[in-house]
Amino acid sequence: MKVEEIMNTKIEFIEANATVYDAIEKMVDKRIRSLVVKPRDENDVYGVITVRDIVFRVLNKNLDPNKVKIEEIASKPLVCVDKDIDIEHVIKLMEKFNIARVFVCEKGNLLGVVALLDVMSGSLIKRVRGGCIA
Amino acid sequence: MLKKLFFGGKIEQKVIEKIKKHIEILCSACETFRIALEKQDKNLISNVFELEREGDIVRREIVSDIFIGAFLPFLRPNICKFVEIVDNALDAVEDAAFEYLDLELDGEIRSDCIKIANINFKMCEILSIAFETLLTGKDLREKNLVIRIYEKKIDEIKHDLMRKLREKDIKNFWEGKIISDFITYLANVSDIIEDASDYLQIINVSMR
Repeated sequence: MKVEEIMNTKIEFIEANATVYDAIEKMVDKRIRSLVVKPRDENDVYGVITVRDIVFRVLNKNLDPNKVKIEEIASKPLVCVDKDIDIEHVIKLMEKFNIARVFVCEKGNLLGVVALLDVMSGSLIKRVRGGCIA
Repeated sequence: MLKKLFFGGKIEQKVIEKIKKHIEILCSACETFRIALEKQDKNLISNVFELEREGDIVRREIVSDIFIGAFLPFLRPNICKFVEIVDNALDAVEDAAFEYLDLELDGEIRSDCIKIANINFKMCEILSIAFETLLTGKDLREKNLVIRIYEKKIDEIKHDLMRKLREKDIKNFWEGKIISDFITYLANVSDIIEDASDYLQIINVSMR
């Protein structure tokens, strides 16, 4: 099964110079667990900030989320795959880098994101369909 | 053993073949509609109408065979209900196809509608696999869950689509009504297929 079939195309962005509190607000409002961090300039690349980063790198260290900037804790660059890649490959990447989401990119453009839950659903669909995907 | 007990008779086999055909017709209707949307070919819509009529005929034959005496009495209402639900899904595809005749879809709205139509088709295929599984007496839980996963995905696309539609300029009442009805019918197919899948589970459990 290809990544394209299970990826989520709704991606939420945040500016690199926004505060962690801004990210918390956005994540709570939209009920999502990660935000893509926009590049600061043309020499920069996309990054990602997750709930996990906020909890372990800011809140757990008693840092003020209003004072910490997104760029200080964001992970860069994104782990990207092609839309035609098989989900088995995505699972291997997730395991290798210990990450919960992989981004789908094409010529520098972000097409979507595949999270662990999508991979789990995709694997189940594949199992039920006996490996035959239309 | 289970299969032999509940579905073993000649008349039962006849009904089972017809139910399979009924589900196949639903798959074909969903696939034809998806292709019509993808290729923007409204000539294909008449094929959807024909498939719906064919589905009606098969449904009548199934119900009539069941009333003649197929299956044990306690199974008959659930089987009839399942067939009726599959027929309702066919009706919803037909309704969506009918609205599409007077509709011009573009950009993101069109691509979202194609996504929904594609998932509808995939759900039909899983329903067919689930029915085959029922006949073997194996557990349907995984098939049921996949149908629920697909339905949730359609729900997400639908909500997103509704938000996009609210930002669209609508020229008159009928344009708005047709597009709103179209999306409702299109997204409704998956709800009905989910109901059908739940009914298969009820039939499965009732045979234990």
